[in-house]
Amino acid sequence: MSNSMAAGGSKNLQSDIRRRGLGARVFSDTFKKRGAKLGALWLAVLVFTAIFAPLLANSRPLLLSADGVVSSPALRYFTAADVTLLCLGLFALLLCFWSATMVRKLLLMAVIGAVTFLVSNHYFQPPKLSIYEEYRESARTSPPDWVLQAPIPYSPKDYLRDYGDTGLQAPSMTAQRVHLLGTTENGADLFSRMIHASRLALGIGLVATGIAISLGVIIGGLMGYFSGIADMIGMRLVEIFEAVPTLFLLLTFVAFFDRSLYIMMVIIGLTSWPGYARYVRAEFLRLRSQDFVQAAVASGLPLGSILFRHILPNAVAPVLVAASFGVASAILAEATLSFLGLGLIDDPSWGQMLNQAVQSSTFNWWMALFPGGAIFLTVFSYNLIGESLRDALDPLTQRAEH
Amino acid sequence: MLLQVENLQTMLSSSTGDIHAVKGIDLQIDRGETVCLVGESGSGKSVTALSIMRLLPESIANHPCGVVSLSSDNGRQSIDLLTIENDQMTRVRGRRMAMIFQEPMSSLNPVFTIGEQIAEAIQLTQPGTTDSQARAVALSALRDVRIDDPESRFNDYPHRLSGGQRQRVMIAMALACKSELLIADEPTTALDVTVQAGILELIKDLQYTSGMAVLFITHDLGVVAQVADRVAVMKDGLIVEQGLRDDVLYQPTHPYTQKLVDSLPENLQQPAAVRASGELLVETRDLQVYFPVRSGLLRRVTSRIRAVDGVTLKINRGEIVALVGESGSGKSTLGRAIVRLLEPTGGSVYFEGKDITRISKEAFRPLRTDLQVVFQDPLSSLNPRLTIATTLTEPMAVHRIGESNEHRIELAQQLMEDVNLPADYIWRYPHEFSGGQRQRIGIARALAVKPKLIVCDEITSALDVSVQAEILELLLKLREQHGLTLLFITHNISVVEYVSDRTAVMHRGRLVESGPTAEVCGNPRHAYTQALIDAVPRFGRN
Repeated sequence: MSNSMAAGGSKNLQSDIRRRGLGARVFSDTFKKRGAKLGALWLAVLVFTAIFAPLLANSRPLLLSADGVVSSPALRYFTAADVTLLCLGLFALLLCFWSATMVRKLLLMAVIGAVTFLVSNHYFQPPKLSIYEEYRESARTSPPDWVLQAPIPYSPKDYLRDYGDTGLQAPSMTAQRVHLLGTTENGADLFSRMIHASRLALGIGLVATGIAISLGVIIGGLMGYFSGIADMIGMRLVEIFEAVPTLFLLLTFVAFFDRSLYIMMVIIGLTSWPGYARYVRAEFLRLRSQDFVQAAVASGLPLGSILFRHILPNAVAPVLVAASFGVASAILAEATLSFLGLGLIDDPSWGQMLNQAVQSSTFNWWMALFPGGAIFLTVFSYNLIGESLRDALDPLTQRAEH
Repeated sequence: MLLQVENLQTMLSSSTGDIHAVKGIDLQIDRGETVCLVGESGSGKSVTALSIMRLLPESIANHPCGVVSLSSDNGRQSIDLLTIENDQMTRVRGRRMAMIFQEPMSSLNPVFTIGEQIAEAIQLTQPGTTDSQARAVALSALRDVRIDDPESRFNDYPHRLSGGQRQRVMIAMALACKSELLIADEPTTALDVTVQAGILELIKDLQYTSGMAVLFITHDLGVVAQVADRVAVMKDGLIVEQGLRDDVLYQPTHPYTQKLVDSLPENLQQPAAVRASGELLVETRDLQVYFPVRSGLLRRVTSRIRAVDGVTLKINRGEIVALVGESGSGKSTLGRAIVRLLEPTGGSVYFEGKDITRISKEAFRPLRTDLQVVFQDPLSSLNPRLTIATTLTEPMAVHRIGESNEHRIELAQQLMEDVNLPADYIWRYPHEFSGGQRQRIGIARALAVKPKLIVCDEITSALDVSVQAEILELLLKLREQHGLTLLFITHNISVVEYVSDRTAVMHRGRLVESGPTAEVCGNPRHAYTQALIDAVPRFGRN
């Protein structure tokens, strides 16, 4: 009886006196700065548009009522990726209210993502052939009872063939059509394409950097903790990979294989891990001889706990800073490739739009300003956050050492 | 009167608010006199020195009031160091006042030879000195601080000098510039006792010959007893007691000074002698730990550093064995090899009669609970990312101590009370604790797995004397409660005399002498032990 009461008491105590850990302090310090706040705001906008892209810009009505039957043509064309992103976005919002460790939340998100992708892959199979003008034409011939359109009623690959007079157009608002940011050379709405391109920009940055960090942490950690021969082989590997020019490798792959987003992500990831590995190695070497790690060894803790619980959390700080700059440079690499005309063919990408800006004999300012501005803002945001994160970590590391 | 400090206050601004580091102190230093400023860490003694030298960054420090007047021409003229222009202050520094710091390893510029650095200082303070004159002055200064073979040392880079030699070079620089006042901020704290003895003697001798005044900042009352003419005791930014050395040290009037004096290990109440069983617990036989030195492209082993070179040491159950030696003597390496944080090169360690150096790491893991270690640096000895609860319960969980997590939390709370800390502190993170508290937690972590032997590696050397006294008393109490055996590694002879039953002295990787503490410390046989014991700055009540 007394035992259980004491245990209950200690639990209450735990929630009462739970103090903010280092991670929480670093987080709040990072976003105290105005620059980092603005950066986070822009990224939040991007994440929002990436998740809700098909609901924000779509040629097909979101909801349509014709002959008393309510249908959602937009939903019929949803791909598995659209559904997964939406689910993940909603769940991420829900998880904000759940108090658990970051690692658990991320694991849960990964599980949810995998499950929804598998399920939606089975149930959501959009028709192979998509005719964007279908609904506009049917609406002209027999107007529906009511219709709910997306805020931007154009799909990114809708070249408005039914209008016949399309091509590069500056931002215009005629009675017939509204193109807030103008159109591309094929007549597609620029705003719609930019919204859909935010997925590519965020995705390539996160996935490529994710691959790079995973490789870097594993290889760097092994080099740092075991040192000796493992360190020597690892460092030679790092040097070999550092010598590979990313952009030229990408060009070569594009020339030989399909233009695939995934190949791009993997190549950028595979060529940028050595930087992270160096950081992690240095941190592991430093931490390995720290007294608290020695004490963990002396307590007979298993190797896994020593590596992942006692060393790694103390070593990730500089990696996070490097990662925020790494995301920015991955986005730039994709934009560069697309600008050179070697990116994805039909799928929207900011770099590819920039390419169109300079292709014709006239300077199409809207094609340069808006995608260029978006690339600039995104890269700038990541750099601002990285900068602020570094400042937030700096005094703490100093305090810990003196 | 050379320097007169009146009502000096120093405010330091930081992001979390202003700190009133020095709250109005009065201090006087005469020519040729040594004034010791004593205090524990955070008392403001270093900030006082830096304020006098005006070395604090102007962006963070300001002086609400106070006068620091440096007089010249036999007191007929004086200047207020706090108000003069920067370029005037530059001429005062070096020329009239010099400063030496605690860390000798970083106080000389590594890319210039020591001769160049001294000569540069001479030419800056005495314009018009030719190169050859400066060289001659520098050489004589090096000779004065008793650097061997000054001609060849003149052209050496700082990395070729030991810590003590570097401190001598810093003093030589002050001498060569004919400074009237030398401010020494803990100049011997980072040095071994035998080296410290040499530096202290040197400073005293130089005062007789050159008439230099010294403001000596230290936390060590033993050093004070050796060098001071007058003593000022600082606490929380104020001087609480000031007077002649013997008055302050032997008849302290302020309670804080009394507490400082009482906290010295030699003045602590001797504990009741615990009778050791005489049963052997740990024995090292001809233990060797060599570190390979690799060089060249293929990283071949070219030579070996013999950190521990054939040590045979016996530790009986229930005993406290002190392992004494200077830095680099291999005492920490020996301690770590016994708990197998380092793999020995040769020889063996017997624990309860079993050879534990030959068994595999897996077979050794259960023995980890018997052999624990507490480290020197309280800042790095706890994982900053984990709560104390996690730090204490994780080893218990691994070794299946306690039935459930709740039970282990209770055990952890019990441990916290054992080391005189409130039980609910286990939910805190390490940064919320002071150095002494962290050291207690380090002890609690070692106790968590119910060890038989704890290796205490310099656990009090980073702490203030009053905190050191608390930790030592705690250790003795715990030893009785838990029947512990301790290997107490330290360089502090007074701590050894207070705490240990037997003492072993290490020198250059070898055990030179061992025996009952009273015998080794009172009547040392080996020449090295004699030198070591003689070098300890003594200060006792009697």
